[in-house]
Amino acid sequence: MADNTVADSRYNYFFLYDGSKVKGEGDPTRAGICYFYPEETPLDKQELLCGQLAGVSRCVSELSSSPVRLLRLRRSKFAIRMKGDFLWALGCSVDIPDVSICNLLDQLINLFSFYNGPIRKSYQIYSQEDLAVRWARYLSHLQEGTTELHHIFSCLSTIDSTHIDPLLLLKAALILQACQRCPLVLAGCILFRGRVVSTQMSPDLTVKVMLLQVLSQSTQSTPKEVNRPRKSRLLSRTLSDTPPSDPPEPDPARPAPLSLHCPSTPGSSTSDDLLFSPSLSFHTPPGPLSPSPSTVSPQISYHSLPNGKSSHEVEEGVTGGLHDQSLDSLEGGDSESGLIGVGPVQSCDIPHDLNRHNGDSMALDGEKAGALGFRGQNSPGCGRRRTGIVADEKEGHRGKVQLADTGDVPPAPCENSSGPPLTTMTLYQHRVRGLVLALLVEPHFHNDTAAVEEVYHSSLASLNGLEAHLRTTARGGAGPQGPYTFAHYDCIQNTLTTNLSGRPGGAQERSFVRATSLLHSHFSHTEALQEAIVRNAGAAVYATRSVAQETYFLQQGGALRNSGIPNHQDSAFSLPSKARHRLLKHGVNLL
Amino acid sequence: MKCLLIASESAEVLFYWTDPEFEQNIQEQYGASQEEGEKPPAFEDCINTLFAPIIISCSTMVDRLGDGYTSFSTENNHSYVLHQFEECLYIAVNGDGEEGEEDLRRKIYVMKKMIEVLFGVVTLSSPLLRKELRPQDTEQRTRLWKHLQSLLETYSRLKEQDQSFLVEAVERLIHPTLCEQCIEFLERSLVQQINSSVERAGEEVLHAFILVHTKLLAFYSSRNASTLTSSDLLALIIMVQNMYPSNIDLEDCAPEDVENTSAPDIFYTPEPSPTNRDSGTDGDSFVDPDIQMAEDSLQTLECPPHDPSTPSRVFLEVMLKEGCYPMMPHSMYCLPLWPGITLVLLTKIPKSNLAMSIYVFLEAFAKLEKRLSEGLEGSAARGQTSIQDLRNKLDKFIRAVGTVDIQTSALQSVWTEFKSRAFIRGGHGFNRGLVPWCRGMKTQLCGVYRQCFMAENGVGGGGPQRLSPSLQDRALIMVQEKLIDWKDFLLVKSRRNITMVSYPEFPGLIHFIYIDRTAGQMIAPSLNITDRATSELGKGPLAHFIKGKIWGLVNTSRLYLQKGYSTVTLRDGDYFFCYFLWFENETGYKLEVKELPILPDDSAPIGMLAMDYYRKLLRYYSKNHQGEVVKCYELLTVHLGVIPVEYILQHCSQLARKLWEPSRIPLL
Repeated sequence: MADNTVADSRYNYFFLYDGSKVKGEGDPTRAGICYFYPEETPLDKQELLCGQLAGVSRCVSELSSSPVRLLRLRRSKFAIRMKGDFLWALGCSVDIPDVSICNLLDQLINLFSFYNGPIRKSYQIYSQEDLAVRWARYLSHLQEGTTELHHIFSCLSTIDSTHIDPLLLLKAALILQACQRCPLVLAGCILFRGRVVSTQMSPDLTVKVMLLQVLSQSTQSTPKEVNRPRKSRLLSRTLSDTPPSDPPEPDPARPAPLSLHCPSTPGSSTSDDLLFSPSLSFHTPPGPLSPSPSTVSPQISYHSLPNGKSSHEVEEGVTGGLHDQSLDSLEGGDSESGLIGVGPVQSCDIPHDLNRHNGDSMALDGEKAGALGFRGQNSPGCGRRRTGIVADEKEGHRGKVQLADTGDVPPAPCENSSGPPLTTMTLYQHRVRGLVLALLVEPHFHNDTAAVEEVYHSSLASLNGLEAHLRTTARGGAGPQGPYTFAHYDCIQNTLTTNLSGRPGGAQERSFVRATSLLHSHFSHTEALQEAIVRNAGAAVYATRSVAQETYFLQQGGALRNSGIPNHQDSAFSLPSKARHRLLKHGVNLL
Repeated sequence: MKCLLIASESAEVLFYWTDPEFEQNIQEQYGASQEEGEKPPAFEDCINTLFAPIIISCSTMVDRLGDGYTSFSTENNHSYVLHQFEECLYIAVNGDGEEGEEDLRRKIYVMKKMIEVLFGVVTLSSPLLRKELRPQDTEQRTRLWKHLQSLLETYSRLKEQDQSFLVEAVERLIHPTLCEQCIEFLERSLVQQINSSVERAGEEVLHAFILVHTKLLAFYSSRNASTLTSSDLLALIIMVQNMYPSNIDLEDCAPEDVENTSAPDIFYTPEPSPTNRDSGTDGDSFVDPDIQMAEDSLQTLECPPHDPSTPSRVFLEVMLKEGCYPMMPHSMYCLPLWPGITLVLLTKIPKSNLAMSIYVFLEAFAKLEKRLSEGLEGSAARGQTSIQDLRNKLDKFIRAVGTVDIQTSALQSVWTEFKSRAFIRGGHGFNRGLVPWCRGMKTQLCGVYRQCFMAENGVGGGGPQRLSPSLQDRALIMVQEKLIDWKDFLLVKSRRNITMVSYPEFPGLIHFIYIDRTAGQMIAPSLNITDRATSELGKGPLAHFIKGKIWGLVNTSRLYLQKGYSTVTLRDGDYFFCYFLWFENETGYKLEVKELPILPDDSAPIGMLAMDYYRKLLRYYSKNHQGEVVKCYELLTVHLGVIPVEYILQHCSQLARKLWEPSRIPLL
């Protein structure tokens, strides 16, 4: 399910335009084009679109004293973001709901600033070509592996919980919790083959971290910049400095999913909140397991090797498309560089750092923490189980570089003075074949060999085990197909459960998707609306929502012969009760 | 913060309307960039300057990408809707959240409809329409724009206050006996007398109807008249309301309402300044105070600018056996019986057959142009016989028109040129090169049409030609005598046409609207939301809240209908809404639902006033029901949310059955 990437791209255009480069009469429009997708678009068309849309946006925003959000044309529409002199535009077909395309653009922009920092700064530090590669990467990441429904809701891909032993999910949650015993670890998530197994981060944050998985999965890498030494700020990322002082009101619907991943924590909500406040790392007392010094050093060096080596590359990679390369080389590196141990499989790429991410991405919304995902599986297989440990001294070096780097690029608010300032953070990644453990850590985590060691060891065995289980159980076919189609969207965790396949379906499936998209936009701008039934000649769709979720249900089969006149015996009106019964077995409780 | 602007492709403002907030906003923005001590430029120039980049960008996109803008929205929820009709670009703006994009699009289409009603076939020629909408003479332009502005405001007011304009269907006063009597009276006494009078000056009354505020008491059409479409009838009611506004607010008299009604009169008068390019030929000779005076007198007089017995020229659709002729000239006489009650006469004017001929020629040239520009010379030439036919007819037409004191020299010369190009070498002249000449012919024909049917004053008045004033007076008195005893009853009845109290069998039902789309009529309990009058909904915030919900429900139902959904139920807060659309045959047999068309977001608004959606829907549905009369109905209900859904649905079906009867009252 949902594995089929809808091949054709959902957006037809994306561009970033810097108005400050085109001030004078004589300045060509092309000077302002920072990035344009598709890149093969003829330059004059690029100029036409950028020039006209930017001009009109400027004019309208002056008239209304407010930035333009959406431009619609007869055959397409563009979500727009304007910040300072920059203008981002993402164009798509008119079928995609406004709210979805605007979300998608925000995600894209946030993804960029997450890995690269403030936009103006990035364009000062990196070349336009480098950043173009990154934009392309982010675009394809956001487009990948999802169905039309996923696009409507802009939600996370999660593993299909219905095919997975709940204990595995519990186990994943426990791994994450265990990692948090190290005070430097802020939050984490576990991904399997591009889908979320368990996460403690907000959906926004998770979606950004998932890029890593995508990067490391794709094997082909562009070797172009491999050896170019760069200022290596690996994957340092930046989080909002602002503590989640303004979390959305606690949500009644939340505890259930949370209990899945942190059952042992009393009062899950508080723990989550803590998790996400920048200070939270300190709240977890150091775990009882203190690794023995002897183990520590090899351990540390282990990752430092690959990382040290890749420190440039990783950085390139992640942000510039080379990451996979570096990861691959890591794998190789493991075996070559005399790992102690048998299997030459790498599994641990460690502290990738990360980068600053736009504060306004609300990554730190404690409230939304901890999404557990469920969803179908698919999968590039990978090696599993790492055994070797390599010693190397680059670790120290690496850490320094990173620090320097972070110092170098302070969380300057730059042009986004409006948004909260950005904070640099680091991402630790441990990979076991298709499984990735990604932890958000304090930037000085790498320097703390004891901490690295501890985290590594505390999770190693369980990750291997989890991966093995997931790999064997995750093969289940598509979800239980009933004589009905449904989609259940969890607004808090930003996840979707559906029995709709991603393949272009029959008329009824298409009509389900159409109705869902219409109803979802209706819900998104009508607060008081709780329930709706809409019917055309072919199908009736029932939709219901609470603060925490939206559910859409269509009963298939038997064309509804009716005249459309009000009739209480009409089958369309029995949809709510049918939905309540049918969806129980999917774990959707509408009562 | 509202604005509506019509601009030509060269970014010339052809018409604008703004509310005071928008005007202030524009002036502030302009003031900021203004040098100190400098005189602020004319408002028209400000608005022109600010919108010009948008207009130009729009035409650039159309030219180079083949795709134009349809809407913009900003982060503070301002909406801009753009629509291009021929060479005129309409832009509607809202910045106060009171109107959504749908409302703005509707406003644009309604504006276009009103322009068609006022200018008729002239709207088919962009160059002429441009001149018509923006007369050279400043005074004339001011007067015309003011008229259009007040029509737009009247429409907006009705749409806000009146359920019949909300759903765009005519509401009738439910009083079958009186209605029947009135129809009989209109037929036997009034129309017959006028049409047999010698003072009618060649005009012939086709339709006569009596309006009580916006509601229809009686409607009579003479036997040889074509049906008046709902769209036209609604547009005429707007015009009547514009002339004789039934100030609901005034009657209930909240002082701020009085202020409100006069507020729209704020109207900018361009000051003569050296830069004022509009002063044109008048140059500096024109004096500001005069205009000011003229305007003041206009304000006090409300609308009919000159003699109240002067009819308005209106262009309405005529459906005859030979075909459908849109925008045929008529004269409309509005005779106010009492405040709030108006008698309206629509007459056919002499020479109106000229209009039909012109329309036929226009259509022929439009078709020819289309075929030629598509490169279908072959089929254009194959149409030789009809081309020959056209040639003969047009020759005859020009000769005939020349005799009735109409300037035809320009038409004649273009036609001669056209013929010399087209009919050379046995029809080989029919090629793409002829396209501009087709356009030229169309413009010339529209010009002749303009001469025939548009009087000198731009406000759609009809020259000296009219029913004699004494005849009009007599008609007025006759109807007054007939209705004098009913007058007060009618005025009250129009406020409480039907009330929810009459539906005790539906507990929990708060409101409903039932619409017969085939007849273009609706029934709904009255909703009078004023501070003075207490309606059944109570008064104050709750009543306003429910009214808001109903208005919202209508918009929502249209949104779904546009995407092909004919049944919608919504649980919204403490309320439960239902919307149903269905088809029946004449005997009331329910016809099966058919897949309805799915329209793009920027399609014409769903309604009857402009671009009648339901007429198209019925035509579409009837394809499978040849030879059967298909009727289309809609029902919207609002229930309390605590009522179980089964009961709500039962109510809806009982209600639909119950309401079916009164809708059978004969309209004609």
